[in-house]
Amino acid sequence: MKRRNFIKTSALASTALWVPSFLKGNTTSPVLKTRSGKILIIVQLGGGNDGLNTVVPYRNDLYYKYRPSLGIKQKDVLKVSDQLGFNPEMQALQSLYDQGLLSVVNNVGYPNPDRSHFRSMDIWHTASDSTEYLSTGWLGRYLDNDCRGCATPYHALEVDDSLSLAMKGINNSGFAMGDAKRLRKATDNKFLKAVAQHDHDHDHENVEYLYKTMIDTQHSAEYLYQQSKVYQSKVKYPNTPFGKDLKQISELITADTDTKIYYTSLTGFDTHANQKGKQGRLLKQYAEGMKALVEDLKRNNLLNDTLIMTFSEFGRRVKQNGSGGTDHGTANNLFLIGGNLNKAGFYNNGPDLQKLDKGDLIYQVDFRNVYATILENWLEADAPAVLGKNFTKLNIL
Amino acid sequence: MSKIKHLYWRAGFGLSPQEWEERKNWRITKAVDQLFKEAKAAGPLQALNVSSVTSKPTKEQRKMERKRVGRQNTAWLVRMANPNESALMERMSLFWHGHFACSSKLSKLAFNQINAIREHALGNFRDLVLAVAKDPSMIRYLNNQQNKKNKPNENFARELMELFTIGRGNYTEQDIKEAARAFTGWSSNLGGKFVFRRRQHDFGSKTFMGKTGKFDGDEIIDIILEQRATAQFICTKIYRYFVNEKVDTRIVNRLADQFYKSDYNIEALMRSIFTSDWFYDKKNIGIKIKSPVDLVVGMSRGLNIQYDNEQALIFAQKALGQVLFNPPNVAGWAGGKAWIDNSTMMLRLNLVTYLLYASDVDFRTKSDLKASSRNKAMRKLEANVNLVPLQQMLSTNDKERTIEELSDFLLQRDPAVDKKLIQQYAQSGTDQDFIKMAIARITSLPEYQLC
Repeated sequence: MKRRNFIKTSALASTALWVPSFLKGNTTSPVLKTRSGKILIIVQLGGGNDGLNTVVPYRNDLYYKYRPSLGIKQKDVLKVSDQLGFNPEMQALQSLYDQGLLSVVNNVGYPNPDRSHFRSMDIWHTASDSTEYLSTGWLGRYLDNDCRGCATPYHALEVDDSLSLAMKGINNSGFAMGDAKRLRKATDNKFLKAVAQHDHDHDHENVEYLYKTMIDTQHSAEYLYQQSKVYQSKVKYPNTPFGKDLKQISELITADTDTKIYYTSLTGFDTHANQKGKQGRLLKQYAEGMKALVEDLKRNNLLNDTLIMTFSEFGRRVKQNGSGGTDHGTANNLFLIGGNLNKAGFYNNGPDLQKLDKGDLIYQVDFRNVYATILENWLEADAPAVLGKNFTKLNIL
Repeated sequence: MSKIKHLYWRAGFGLSPQEWEERKNWRITKAVDQLFKEAKAAGPLQALNVSSVTSKPTKEQRKMERKRVGRQNTAWLVRMANPNESALMERMSLFWHGHFACSSKLSKLAFNQINAIREHALGNFRDLVLAVAKDPSMIRYLNNQQNKKNKPNENFARELMELFTIGRGNYTEQDIKEAARAFTGWSSNLGGKFVFRRRQHDFGSKTFMGKTGKFDGDEIIDIILEQRATAQFICTKIYRYFVNEKVDTRIVNRLADQFYKSDYNIEALMRSIFTSDWFYDKKNIGIKIKSPVDLVVGMSRGLNIQYDNEQALIFAQKALGQVLFNPPNVAGWAGGKAWIDNSTMMLRLNLVTYLLYASDVDFRTKSDLKASSRNKAMRKLEANVNLVPLQQMLSTNDKERTIEELSDFLLQRDPAVDKKLIQQYAQSGTDQDFIKMAIARITSLPEYQLC
């Protein structure tokens, strides 16, 4: 693209979209219209969340046999089906379940699971096989694959200072913003703004790419900063960095920001020792965060347009270890939250504890089946093109 | 653009002002000879902190080892940035470190590996591959410990062919199985040394790439190197790294012929690249996106930066996406445009300014997945920037001329913007303030990200 054209589209992308929401800047009352565009929020639980103590098979004797002290007592489990119930710290999530806003997919994993955090997270991010190494992420490839209406650089936004592999494509990537104010400060450089204003053609694609990224970032930072001021949520979120991120997401969505995919993470789930208290506190934070987010979106009539997917790089071993914790395992549960679920509740049965692979759960649903379903049924994308293979869709959306 | 600068950027990490002054009028052949002479004299990385941990670390030891690997990391970076060290040796070892990508959590093993790589970095590719195949870090990283006669593990055999030597499309799944058998018993002991475990080795007959025999690992490597496709694969990768991501097939074919006929002599290959005319074609100059290490090392060398607190070096690597001794996976760093997203871009553009003016960085790197909470934001990058040599390099007080000379020194391609704009935004106080501000402006141009 010639520099001149680029500036033109770039200016269009920022100012045209920027003005209406800026004008709305004074209205703090909820925006009541329904959007045509669907919103996807990805929540990453980093460290490998112990799925068995998140969704507890409280009727299964084997569960208590493998976890004599770590197992959650039947009386404490928040029972939601005749087999399964939630960790007692997840009352907030139970209420979403009760309202039909949560779907739990059990036993999600992939063939030949890798027990390294880093590698397994890479596999989830890139949607690769475990013997394959990709340098692009599934959402990045979605952005690269001609997704409709993805013209803006902030179409997919990660609430963090740096960008995850999941969001990296070849020609397009997601956008990282830990905090709107800080990003604005980092891009507030009068010289570089003057450089950007300068009209020029570049004779090499790398130069072009660097300039485009710089200019996009400047425009986006300004736009997102303005958007971040449009709506101030009244809902009470957990008073933690994660809670703050969720609030920022909700405020941007409500401000009708031209961002359709959000990415955030909660870390600390690597519970090799003294798991009970640690995991409980994190799950409580997660559940209360989700409840607040749902409430916020509902107030603004946006819940039916929103889908939240929560995953972790792996589950943990079935048997507790000697330090009151659990070691790295394999298959895990995955949560979908939203007002538009095809099948709320449990998508499938809980794990089969009789049939283990050297003490690990055997996956039943490949996570890429979930991705394919989201890509096709929610984002209206060509899933095989993004995932490089055909994965059967699940009847969840 | 100066050929010498191009040579030094690709064969090293750019020049210090003193090197530039001394060498800018050298003939290419002289500079190339000098680079190789220095590389031959270069010694191994020096052990800073000898660790005795070579297997099964305790939790405490793991923590210590992380710190030790971190210190090795910054020591290596500082060495790359030191004009008194061989630029070419550091560049070659960085290249092979990314090619034979491996991360080791144990400092001693990580250290032994990089020194094994350095030993052969400009030697014979066969020796290099063999050294890596017998390297305890790599053996553990690619599960060759578990590769046993009765239960072969194919991981090493697969990556050996796919990533290290011949590339996809030149072998079959059956070749992988047979090669894996040949590497059974190639293991490492508790002391972190290579051992050949006879009882785990499969001495039987294997059929590999059309040949049949009782092959062991050495012979498998020989057979792989007998394929011209291996020379082609390595030369393509070297061309993409040292010359241009867009491959000129005609040139690479020629290089591969030469590399193959020379029986994989790396030095001869690199010499012929650096002394060829096409290496200095305009289309190859100033178009490569610097890796985070290129960027940090290049600016440290060019601007005489000393780091009081080496955490700044670790921070920059993490935030920009390239941490030495910790590549993302066995395929190494993707490179090129993959380095760039909005976050890394703004940090890259601001980096020198942050150092020059000790200004607020306020950037939080992603936490390790094992971490119990998020990282704290980096506030300030502590470093001393000594601009005196750069100032001495300048021929005049004239501002326009100063901008011209600084751009020439700092950039590998002409900036797209008018240099008057730089001058306009560099106006300030004394001559020294002006020079400092001009450097900040020039290094914040997107063109500074290219070499």
